[in-house]
Amino acid sequence: MNPPLDFWPLLIAMTVASFATRAAGFWLMRFVTITPRLEAALKATPLAVMVGIATPAAASGKPAEILGIVVAIALMRATGNDLVAAIGGVATLALARQFVI
Amino acid sequence: MSTPVSLTFAGMRRGMIRSVPLLPGIFVYGAAFGMLAREADMALWQATLMSLVVFSGSAQLATLLLLATGAGLLAIIATILIVNARYVLYGAALRPWLGALPPGKAYATLYFMGDTNWIISMQAHAEGENDAGYLFGSGLIMAVPWLLGTIAGGGLGVLIKDPATLGLDFFLVAFCVALGVGMVRGRADLIIIAAAAVTALVADRLLPGGWSTALAGIVGGIVAWVRHEPAT
Repeated sequence: MNPPLDFWPLLIAMTVASFATRAAGFWLMRFVTITPRLEAALKATPLAVMVGIATPAAASGKPAEILGIVVAIALMRATGNDLVAAIGGVATLALARQFVI
Repeated sequence: MSTPVSLTFAGMRRGMIRSVPLLPGIFVYGAAFGMLAREADMALWQATLMSLVVFSGSAQLATLLLLATGAGLLAIIATILIVNARYVLYGAALRPWLGALPPGKAYATLYFMGDTNWIISMQAHAEGENDAGYLFGSGLIMAVPWLLGTIAGGGLGVLIKDPATLGLDFFLVAFCVALGVGMVRGRADLIIIAAAAVTALVADRLLPGGWSTALAGIVGGIVAWVRHEPAT
């Protein structure tokens, strides 16, 4: 480990900073009245976050990634099972990386 | 809501069962951190303790990168706040649900919150799950492969030489795509998806990693806010 930085202060700083991000949003919302409109906005966040996680991979332009995403979408529509779709997408990507790239 | 908000073992069990198929991917992620921690000359017990109490892959990996550049504590703290900014949004979205719990239970549950268990819990909540144990239990069980992965990667030298060849680095993306497709109910959702995708694309180009997720979530929320029509 880097000599100038001691382990314990580092660990404590990392733990506090990580927990702060986990607790801050929940804590701040204490002071906000949850109107139906705000609740609708909060309910929309999971879908938008998932798009936010998946989009950079899709936009990377790599054929294996794009193929994996297409297969995951197709399997989800066909089976309705998210795990089957995710595993199928990952398997497709792994195969594509072996052969295409 | 049909049932009152609670935190029970039954709820924890449901969250854990739902998480089981997601555990191998977390193990690989933990092993990657363990191996990189070892390369950064961190002792095995240090890496393991870090995985236990920090419990955030994005924060831990960012810290390793910074340590290699000789960064100080303040830079590390600032970076963790930035790469984990999405957790602030996750926590805010949990207020209507966990807000009904005693604060001790709510914050203990938040301690174990990460991307994957937040996503599956929000989905379950949208379908009527009101037991916060679901989030707590899914986070708790994910800590197991995270720790075992850290130990395997850092100590036993289990070489997952290239997780990329197995495609496991892609699991969260594929899972998000599948869940997202399953959650689409109508035109309103498609507008949210389009707005979030554009935001993520722009943010991914211009800002450090982690922000595209947070900003996409915020913009999706704003779109839903603007389009909300009060029930008549």
